[in-house]
Amino acid sequence: MIELKKVSKQFGEVQAVRDVSFGAKKGDIIGFLGPNGAGKTTTMRLIMGLIHPTSGTVEILKSNPITNRLQTLTHIGYLPENNPLYGEMQVQEYLSFVADLKNVNDKEIVAKIISSVDIEEKLTAKIEELSRGYRQRVGLAAALIGDPDILILDEPTSGLDPIEQEKIKKLIIKIATRKIIIFSTHILSEVEDVANRLIIIAKGTVVYDGEKPKRAGAVEKLFKKLVQ
Amino acid sequence: MKSLIRKELAFYLNNPLGYIVITLFAVFANFMYVKDIFVNGSASMRPFFDVLPWLLMIFVPALTMRMIAEEKRTNTLEVLLSLPISEAQIIGAKFVASVILTGIGLLLTVGLPLSLLVLTGEVGSSIYLPEILVGYLGVMLMVCGYVALSLFYSGLTSNQIVAFLASVVTIFFLIIFSTDFASGSIPTALQGVFNYLSPATQLAGFVKGIIDFRAVLYFISFSLLFLFLTIVDIEKRK
Repeated sequence: MIELKKVSKQFGEVQAVRDVSFGAKKGDIIGFLGPNGAGKTTTMRLIMGLIHPTSGTVEILKSNPITNRLQTLTHIGYLPENNPLYGEMQVQEYLSFVADLKNVNDKEIVAKIISSVDIEEKLTAKIEELSRGYRQRVGLAAALIGDPDILILDEPTSGLDPIEQEKIKKLIIKIATRKIIIFSTHILSEVEDVANRLIIIAKGTVVYDGEKPKRAGAVEKLFKKLVQ
Repeated sequence: MKSLIRKELAFYLNNPLGYIVITLFAVFANFMYVKDIFVNGSASMRPFFDVLPWLLMIFVPALTMRMIAEEKRTNTLEVLLSLPISEAQIIGAKFVASVILTGIGLLLTVGLPLSLLVLTGEVGSSIYLPEILVGYLGVMLMVCGYVALSLFYSGLTSNQIVAFLASVVTIFFLIIFSTDFASGSIPTALQGVFNYLSPATQLAGFVKGIIDFRAVLYFISFSLLFLFLTIVDIEKRK
């Protein structure tokens, strides 16, 4: 359902990703690991069609996310890095806004999502007044509107305390059925707890793509071996 | 697109900034006209329309400067671009919202022709309403051009002040080169070009109550050109 073939992206002199190839199918929960600047966000933005590859091809549900951008985006939910939101909006207002733009007119669907991410008591709060954990849940709720087949989550637990991290992890596991989830993270234990597949990227190149090692601490060992 | 327009309008109408800018415009526009009305001794709205290209040169960029620049600074533009809506819809919504907001500011000046109507009625005279309506039509077309230009600059930077200044300076030069004050300093061959490019020159016909279709075409082309450039700039960044 997702297919990247020899995808490279260059920003001026900087080669952000080089010959990245991988595929993903329903049920995959891919932990996307890599040090800072390795190319995780660039790869995710390439999948979203937010940037165009310098070379190579990206296919989403057998469709090109650049030439068929609007159609492709109806199948993808995206939580960008640092979760940018409209702070001046109330939570309910923001989610209705996103639902409108995704052509989701059924209020019950939005209500179900709100309930699934447990933000009912914050619906009338302004987003700028929310804690980081709640903001993250609002971003996740927005990504879930429209029941997308693919979820791209760029560091969904970044900056959260351990309790909030745990809540987000449980949420991802809860919503994972019948979807492809690709989430990037720096927290290796998160991959052990949530992912069923692991992709490690270093200096713009995929250095590991396979099943997640099952033994406790094995992800960390593998990561250190390949990256350091 | 309605949701996008509503979002833009809601920001200004739920925020003191929108009211401050619109009120300031209304106060200045009304004052600039009223201060001379009895000195002029004529019941004409022309002096009012003549000053609007200059006032709107500040007012429109002040309202529009944040439209894209702020979305870029806070990265919410990426959120919008990850939703199934086109760049044209995003920019179109921002354009329509800005024109509506400026329209609200202009609405606060209709007290002027209404007062003139009452005053002239008292002395057994009257003002020619169609001329005033055509004047407002011309101003709204000019507003479309100013908004499109300001959106373009707002899209080029994530700094609102830079967007504001660039818009004001561009509009200033477009107008100033068509005035007697500056036209002497440019070659005669170029004077016609600068005259044509000036929004103030294009507005002049409307102020006299004439719907000049060349001017209508100018304002529409001007607006579409800058809206197109704004969309291209966003797409180019991919």
